[in-house]
Amino acid sequence: MDPPLVNESSFSAANPSSYSLAEIWPSPIHGAEAGLRMGNLGHGFGESSGHRDGSMEESTVTEQSGGGGCGRKRRDVSSEDESSKIVSTTSSANDLNESNGKRTKISGSKNENGGSKAEAEASSVAGNKSADQAINLRSHQKIIFMREKISERMKILQDLVPGCNKVIGKALVLDEIINYIQSLQQQVEFLSMKLEAVNSRVSLNPTIEGFHSKDLGAPPFDAAGMIFGPQAAREYAHGSQHEWLHMQVDGGFDRAT
Amino acid sequence: MNPKTYHHISSNPSSVKSRFTRGFLRAFKKIKRQQRLLPTSSSSSSNPSPRPYLYGRVKIAADKSLALAVGSRRAWSRALLWKIHYKAWRQRSRFNNKKKRLKENKKNKKKKKNDDEEVGFRHAKELRKLVPGGKAMDLCSLLDETAHYIKCLITQVQVMKSIDQIYSF
Repeated sequence: MDPPLVNESSFSAANPSSYSLAEIWPSPIHGAEAGLRMGNLGHGFGESSGHRDGSMEESTVTEQSGGGGCGRKRRDVSSEDESSKIVSTTSSANDLNESNGKRTKISGSKNENGGSKAEAEASSVAGNKSADQAINLRSHQKIIFMREKISERMKILQDLVPGCNKVIGKALVLDEIINYIQSLQQQVEFLSMKLEAVNSRVSLNPTIEGFHSKDLGAPPFDAAGMIFGPQAAREYAHGSQHEWLHMQVDGGFDRAT
Repeated sequence: MNPKTYHHISSNPSSVKSRFTRGFLRAFKKIKRQQRLLPTSSSSSSNPSPRPYLYGRVKIAADKSLALAVGSRRAWSRALLWKIHYKAWRQRSRFNNKKKRLKENKKNKKKKKNDDEEVGFRHAKELRKLVPGGKAMDLCSLLDETAHYIKCLITQVQVMKSIDQIYSF
């Protein structure tokens, strides 16, 4: 009979403790929710939140300070922002002098970080502020990341485009790139026109052999080729001439004649 | 270009340059054959048409073969191919329906929106016009595609110059 009694006693002893725990815990849980909100706030401001209870008290204190500072800020609307900030910090400090000294620092820094937004929406809920701050931070980080990426790409492009390394400034570099692309596209257009002219010459004189048409078409092409400085291409052609001729003459001109 | 580098390039048959040269020469040959056939037919029918399809065909062939050589992994080549196909389709259906074209133009005008100017690149607008398919990209990918497009344009110019040199000899 002893063990059950002991069990009963233990249960009876344990139950009140559990009940007491259940009674005790809800209020910290409520505090924890508030503390989580404040934790978000703290992350948004780049601070670390302390204990749950402390954050709970802080939240109440900041609300009070906001409510207290609101009236004073309405008076100081005409004055500068800095003075209003000082007023808000002093008001919060006055409220918090009753509590611990550490929290005065935290709330003061929070009010400073809050700035004009906190002044404008001092009476609003703290959750809205934290959400706005988080969105701002994320967009800011995104912009920084994008800028890094863009600067990398710009370096690659600067290496690609000749005479672009000396230029300083993104706009000028982009101008250089645009000019270079335009010149390349114009070159392609010009070369295709030339090739088309060769085509038309060949097609207009179907009775003449391909080599004669080449001889006929040579002088204007040379004169036109001087504009674009064909030396590099000519070297290239020297290296590849035989293969080209095999590819083209065997394929095209023999069929053309 | 030294012959050594050319040899190096020719030894790699899957490079963009060699693929472009092969494709372009094939297209060029085809155009030439058609042009050779066409004047005889027009002279036989004694009605010299203005040949709207043949104007700028070499350029279209060059662009198309470049885009095909690059493949579909790049956005600009995809856009270029789509543009060429669309232009050809429009030329084919130009005489059939003019009203549809007007409607499409209006739609295109409505679609134009420049949304990422906040990064501070005013000149990106001009770059978007130059790079095919640049209007639908964000700035990062636009610069990436621009770099690749410039490389491919350089190879295109080199190859076309060499072909032109062979013809002018």
